[in-house]
Amino acid sequence: MQTPDNTMTEQLKDTTDLKKTKATDPAIESGLKRLTRDRIKRTINQVLEKETGPRFKAYVETCMRCGLCADACSYFLSNDRDPHFMPAAKVKNTIWKMLAKKGEVSKDFLRQAVRISHLECNVCKRCAMYCPFGIDIAYMMLLVRRICHKLEITPQYIQDTVNSHSVTLNQMWVKDDEWIDTLQWQEEDARDEFEDLQIPLDKVGADIMYSVIAPEPKFQAGLIYQAAAMMHAAGMDWTMPSTPGWDNSNMAMYTGDNEISGRIARAFFETAAKLRVKRVVMGECGHALRSVYDMGNRWNSWAMPPFEVVHALAFYHELLTEGRITIKEKYKKKVTLHDPCNVSRGRGLHDKARQVVNMVCENFVEMVPNREHNYCCGAGGGVINCGPPYKGERMVNNKNKAEQLAATGAEVLIAPCHNCHSGLEDIIHHYGLEMEIKFLGDLIYETMEKKIYTPGK
Amino acid sequence: MNSFIAFIMGPMVWISVIIFLGGLLIKFFGIIWSVRQKEPYIFSYMTVRHSLRSIGAWLIPFFPKSTRLRPVYYGVSYLFHILLFVIPLFLASHIVLINEAFQVSWPALNNSLADWLTLVVIAALVFFAVRRNMVPEVKFLTAATDYLLILVVILPFITGFLAYHQWFAYRWMVVAHVLSGELMLIIIPFSRFSHMLTAPLTRAYMGSEFGNVRHARDW
Amino acid sequence: MKPWKKKFIHRGNKMKKWTILAVVFGLLSAAGWMVVFAQEDQYLERLDSWAFESPRRPGAVFSHDDHIMDLDDDCSICHHVYEDGELMPGESSEDYYCSDCHSLTSAPDNKMPLEAAYHNLCKNCHFDRGKGPVLCGECHINE
Repeated sequence: MQTPDNTMTEQLKDTTDLKKTKATDPAIESGLKRLTRDRIKRTINQVLEKETGPRFKAYVETCMRCGLCADACSYFLSNDRDPHFMPAAKVKNTIWKMLAKKGEVSKDFLRQAVRISHLECNVCKRCAMYCPFGIDIAYMMLLVRRICHKLEITPQYIQDTVNSHSVTLNQMWVKDDEWIDTLQWQEEDARDEFEDLQIPLDKVGADIMYSVIAPEPKFQAGLIYQAAAMMHAAGMDWTMPSTPGWDNSNMAMYTGDNEISGRIARAFFETAAKLRVKRVVMGECGHALRSVYDMGNRWNSWAMPPFEVVHALAFYHELLTEGRITIKEKYKKKVTLHDPCNVSRGRGLHDKARQVVNMVCENFVEMVPNREHNYCCGAGGGVINCGPPYKGERMVNNKNKAEQLAATGAEVLIAPCHNCHSGLEDIIHHYGLEMEIKFLGDLIYETMEKKIYTPGK
Repeated sequence: MNSFIAFIMGPMVWISVIIFLGGLLIKFFGIIWSVRQKEPYIFSYMTVRHSLRSIGAWLIPFFPKSTRLRPVYYGVSYLFHILLFVIPLFLASHIVLINEAFQVSWPALNNSLADWLTLVVIAALVFFAVRRNMVPEVKFLTAATDYLLILVVILPFITGFLAYHQWFAYRWMVVAHVLSGELMLIIIPFSRFSHMLTAPLTRAYMGSEFGNVRHARDW
Repeated sequence: MKPWKKKFIHRGNKMKKWTILAVVFGLLSAAGWMVVFAQEDQYLERLDSWAFESPRRPGAVFSHDDHIMDLDDDCSICHHVYEDGELMPGESSEDYYCSDCHSLTSAPDNKMPLEAAYHNLCKNCHFDRGKGPVLCGECHINE
């Protein structure tokens, strides 16, 4: 381990001016050029008046400007307590001003609003736990993103993922045949290790539909391999869909493109319905859980998801506690666990996650704070999806997270969420932390008994 | 003059209490009606248990983590909110007046204790005002109205304190006290003071989302 | 131009300034005089509050002579007599203590506790007549 403090302060010296270099996003700039004053006003008022209700009104009217939300925000803590980064200030600089000016805001204001809502808030809802009134600032930041979406000034990279969703129903422009190809490739590879392993496609009436996010077939196909290995060793009756709807990710949810977002979630549930599965198990992704467990179902008028949605963490817990998977030899290295907002604060899986980690690893050390109070990864709320142009400032905004990680002294960081995983990987490299980063599935796969399952046994 | 005093201590009290309670009541039913109209989903997530769990957790002093990060502010704020209700409701002079009007009474605070507690409230409000100007993140959020709200609350307490001690211009001090108290009551439903109604509602909703859907704690 | 406005214009600025200052000074001194002497010129006595077990405030101050004068020697207005809840007109009760009838707390034979008896009697009359003190500290002047 390097001495984290020195490394970090040095790194920060390099990065502070990154903040000043203004990333010019072609999508935002060309979008702004197209806007007229009238359209800006009309759109803002339409969203704030027609698409909100008493809840929004109460949030705006109730805030007493006490500033307690400040300490909740990783962005605020990372930027030397610069008030601009505190949650309420982000609302002040977007929503309050839009309301005060009745939607008559300038293009410069909008450029700033895009930046605040897309890059300086990761909608992790930590601040909702620090506000004595439980004001949901993430909800308001998503409203700002919704306005930006309607004004067509969403940052380019994340807009591209939404375009992909719109065309292919998956996030990464994965073509239908590529998807099936990838599954078969993984099946074939896995058969070297597990004779007779299958990735059953479109098996109607299976117990479980396993779903992943598009980045897995695109460039992390090994994760599908591992999942298949676990399913096989545990002897589960499972299937994966071959048709669009297999991707549970939902970037439209983060750009405020609710219509596309709803379509994605609906296609996902319809695929599960077509396969007549009992429940849906999903890979280690946080925002996908938010989409199919919390937000996507609501857009489609289901109070709760129409299927039982099981996140990987809960599923691993089930496999291990029921003894379907046994651990051959516990993982030796010192590990720590990052609680992703969407699975801990969003689904309360932090305790199960700890039990799994303790069943799999010998040496587990907590990061502080943890569970619901864990610091945000600064990535998975759509921030990382705004792409490489903003990586520099994302690293600055992650200083606090880096300090938290360094303080654990762990050798391995478990991040059971795709976007957290990618964001934390950037942090580790940028701040020179000597840490490996793994999914929980990586560790289970590495340590489990590689049973070869034979039907009927 | 006596008829003016009779007015501000008689009908005007009724008017302000009716505006205060009626305003909050109308606001409450307005919110409920509006939720039914525009966001009925809120009802499908709200549960009594999780609402009370969250409100309860936030009422226990220094239980939520947020309050432990800011112990001084939170402690002063907690005390202030309790005293804001306790002092006026349990002040001997107020109880005497209510007793004369309605023949009901209840135990009163000892006068000198109430006197000291009033100073605590005034000090708390001064603290809030200073904090608004000192703590950068709070200052960033603060607008003139925030100081105005502090002024509206501090006036009845200062005038009440001075009137009790009869130091100068007693009659005018009482008139100012009565009027400023009534002013505070009247503007509650129309200002952010209505957080006395809306904060439990937003807390209850967030508590329900966290407890009922997210299966997590929100404190 | 209204005639009353003309007057000021002809006087010029200097005059105007002095006029305003004089008026302000006059008002201030009048107010000060009222504050200082309003209470001084009465023969105020402090009522003995022995009948109250633990009074929260010092006994009220008032001038018996002024009241006799203002009420045209009709003692029964304050020193009244009630029988079975009915006011006995013309009868008076100067030879009794208030607390002889008005016990500290209300009882079957006394609906009006002592404190309320004082407050109602004094205050209601002062309100009705539009004169006299009506606020707590105007009678219960601190010692």
